[in-house]
Amino acid sequence: MVFIRLRNRVQVHPNADVCIGDVAQMIVNDAELIENLKKIMIYKIKASDKNIVIIDVMKVVKAILDFDSSLDIQTIGPTQTIVEVVYKKRNFTSLYFALVWLLLFIGSALAIMNFHEDVSMQQVHQRLYTIITGEKNDKPLLFQIPYSIGLGLGMILFFNHLFRKRINEEPSPLEVEMFNYQQAIDQYVILHENKESIRRVHDD
Amino acid sequence: MTIDVILIIMIGLAGGLAVGSGFVAFIVVLGVIPRLTQLTKTMKSIHAYELAVVAGALTGGWVSLRNTALYLSKYLLIPMGLFSGVFIGMLAAALTEVLNVWPILAKRIGIEEKIVILLMAIAFGKVFGSLFHWVYFVDH
Repeated sequence: MVFIRLRNRVQVHPNADVCIGDVAQMIVNDAELIENLKKIMIYKIKASDKNIVIIDVMKVVKAILDFDSSLDIQTIGPTQTIVEVVYKKRNFTSLYFALVWLLLFIGSALAIMNFHEDVSMQQVHQRLYTIITGEKNDKPLLFQIPYSIGLGLGMILFFNHLFRKRINEEPSPLEVEMFNYQQAIDQYVILHENKESIRRVHDD
Repeated sequence: MTIDVILIIMIGLAGGLAVGSGFVAFIVVLGVIPRLTQLTKTMKSIHAYELAVVAGALTGGWVSLRNTALYLSKYLLIPMGLFSGVFIGMLAAALTEVLNVWPILAKRIGIEEKIVILLMAIAFGKVFGSLFHWVYFVDH
């Protein structure tokens, strides 16, 4: 009896041999057998694979049956593994990074100015000054400077980067958003990179 | 005459209803209040927060339509400014969330550790842009 559970995501080097032990967890009551099973090669990474390969559970089951057809295989969990080929990390130049930083900085500065003009915030602030104090003031900086600081504070607060030490385990909305995006991408590649999962009429 | 008055009341009420429900829908979609309750762990007081939003909208509407003047200390404006800034900042942050900017940016550029620094770029950009607008831009 062999229990196998594929991992969700595995990273490998280019030209690596992917063995069953890399993509799956296994439970077998025979220690020698499990070592042999783990060493079965199921895929050789080629340059044409680019960076994503999907290993289907069927392929793993077939490889195990080829090794010993008398084994009883039980699969649990995900039915495919996403194998990510990690090429040498792209050299991320600090110039490139600085450009993106500047783009975001200037972009958001301009966006907030456009927003203020769009909603006539200057007039609103002048009105508010009059409502509170009863006096007129064309430049209510007493209100506007704390407002500007609060603007940055609010953004940081929303993403929870002010309190680096989190009190609880709850992820920040950014982390949840990144996770959802990754899940959507995974779903997409599972269906589109795995030739067995979609069969079209005109393919035959 | 009576018809006119009733008509005006009807129109005013209808306009208020439309704007009020739009305002609530906006706040709900951006999810600022759930985020605040999550940060402060005060899920139980959510109804009090609803009341705060409604009361705030009512007060704001009333004082701005009635040309009220309260003759209070001008230093009261400092905390008010800070709070309104935080509120708008959270709205802006929530808006970028809805637009799914961050995950795509992080994937495209391939930097997931440095995303905090880019987040800071946006936050500082907002602070700088806002200060520049109030201190310099409005005079020119």
